[in-house]
Amino acid sequence: MAMTPKERALNILAGKPVDVVPAFSGFGSVIVEGLKKHGLRFAHVHLDAGEMAAAAAATVELVGTAAAIVPFDMGVAAEALGARLNTYPHSEDILYPTLKDKYVHVADDIKMPENIATAGRVPLVCEAIRKTKELVGPDVAVGSWVLGPFTLAGQSMDLNEILKMTFKEPAKAEGILEKLTQFLIGEARAYVDAGADFISLREMGATSDVLSPRSFKKMIRKFSEEILASIDVPKVYHICGDTNMIVQDMAEMNPVVSVDQKNDIKASREKIGDDVVLLGNLHPWDVLTQGEPDMIAAAVCDAAEAGVDAVWPGCDLWPDTNVENLRAWVKAVEGTEPRRKA
Amino acid sequence: MGSDERKQELFKELKEGVIEYEEDRVTTAAQAVLAEGFDAYEGIMDGLAAGMEVVGELFDSQEYFVPEVLMCADALYAGLDILRPHVNMEGREAVKGEVVIGVVEGDVHDIGKNLVKMMFEVAGFTVHDLGADVPIDEFVEKQISTNSDIVALSAMMTTTMMGMKKAIVKLKEKNPNVMIMLGGAPVTGEIADMFGADGYSENASNAVSEAIKMVGALRRM
Repeated sequence: MAMTPKERALNILAGKPVDVVPAFSGFGSVIVEGLKKHGLRFAHVHLDAGEMAAAAAATVELVGTAAAIVPFDMGVAAEALGARLNTYPHSEDILYPTLKDKYVHVADDIKMPENIATAGRVPLVCEAIRKTKELVGPDVAVGSWVLGPFTLAGQSMDLNEILKMTFKEPAKAEGILEKLTQFLIGEARAYVDAGADFISLREMGATSDVLSPRSFKKMIRKFSEEILASIDVPKVYHICGDTNMIVQDMAEMNPVVSVDQKNDIKASREKIGDDVVLLGNLHPWDVLTQGEPDMIAAAVCDAAEAGVDAVWPGCDLWPDTNVENLRAWVKAVEGTEPRRKA
Repeated sequence: MGSDERKQELFKELKEGVIEYEEDRVTTAAQAVLAEGFDAYEGIMDGLAAGMEVVGELFDSQEYFVPEVLMCADALYAGLDILRPHVNMEGREAVKGEVVIGVVEGDVHDIGKNLVKMMFEVAGFTVHDLGADVPIDEFVEKQISTNSDIVALSAMMTTTMMGMKKAIVKLKEKNPNVMIMLGGAPVTGEIADMFGADGYSENASNAVSEAIKMVGALRRM
């Protein structure tokens, strides 16, 4: 009997065999055509659980992905910790929400909510997870994600300040990261309790485009490991940008690693061996948005041949990506040879 | 007046102080440049900027990463703040451009923008910094009110890159002669071409040579 899309997705994340490679990702996959289908405005879908769920499920309905993902914006944690969110309600363009306040300078500036599950929009995202599950049914996975503490620190405080602090006052920086780690553990737990089938931990600020591999080992690794250890559903560790020098660390930290188009997949596969699940690395803009179906199919084949277990986009889908392109991605991924055959 | 040998020694101090991100070392050397009667402009170009050029190379070869570059920038500013008020531009073939710079709406990442701004300042431009998360119309208004030669737009995320396209159309509509530079992680030469920009910079360090070339082009028009 054929596996369901959800079984395929969860088997991929567990490093188990699949009959067909599923097309899915661990990051935001709201698309404009899905919003249109339900008459939704991008600036508002982040603020309403029903709208968020409808938009997430619409991608599954229109494109045929094996998983729906909520939330879409990166502001949930920083907002729950006290920053004001700007959703750009005036804009007709697709602008992702950003945070208005950089209020953290020392660890004591972070006011930990008594109950993380009810702080800010965390309960809204939990509600969206439950509603998405109802909408997509039992055969499709529902995933969620949290930021890594270093990336969250870069939102809650001046990025300039935290970057220099990692050198000049490492103990102070670690105090901040430890506190944010505790919040993120609570946030991830709330999403798992709400029914998320898998969680991605996205520490994109720790890319080697920004931080040295040495700083990664010293300042990033232990906090990410603490969060990963606390999650008891399948989990993905994702960093975008240059990951070639830290992919081995990533693989030691978590059995499932996701990278983007800057990663040399073939070289990474050689470094991390066959057992680690490697996901990536389509360019969400150059390939999926700007490409044509044929070019997308070729890029999927290249990534699969280079050694990923399932061809993921390297980041959130760009919402203006057309359905035809996304269907080409799904079809091509499902046509790739499973690395572990059922 | 000190000797040429002493001058070179001080410029080397400025340069190495920037490379080694030692603000105090740069401050001391910059003060000595003035006290001993050496040329402030040469100190900026042959000391501070020369140091930043090496920092750019260290960044390209992945010896330095963003935190190191930021600390080098602090050291450079420590020297620039001391030397710049004493620059005598008379009789000098200096670039005298004005630039409007900012990060487009939807994006709050301003590190790249700040580094590009620094290089413009080092090169002698007057910089009008609009900050981060700037609505497109503000770029247009500021360009008109300052009659700046260049507008430099930055976006770190692909998601905000589209704002650049709109800004370029609006800016060129109001003033076809304005030079537009794009910078930021998702920007490539093809994207700059596609959007109709005049120059682009993948990172802060090659922005200024691009900017100087563009101002040269303006003068010939």
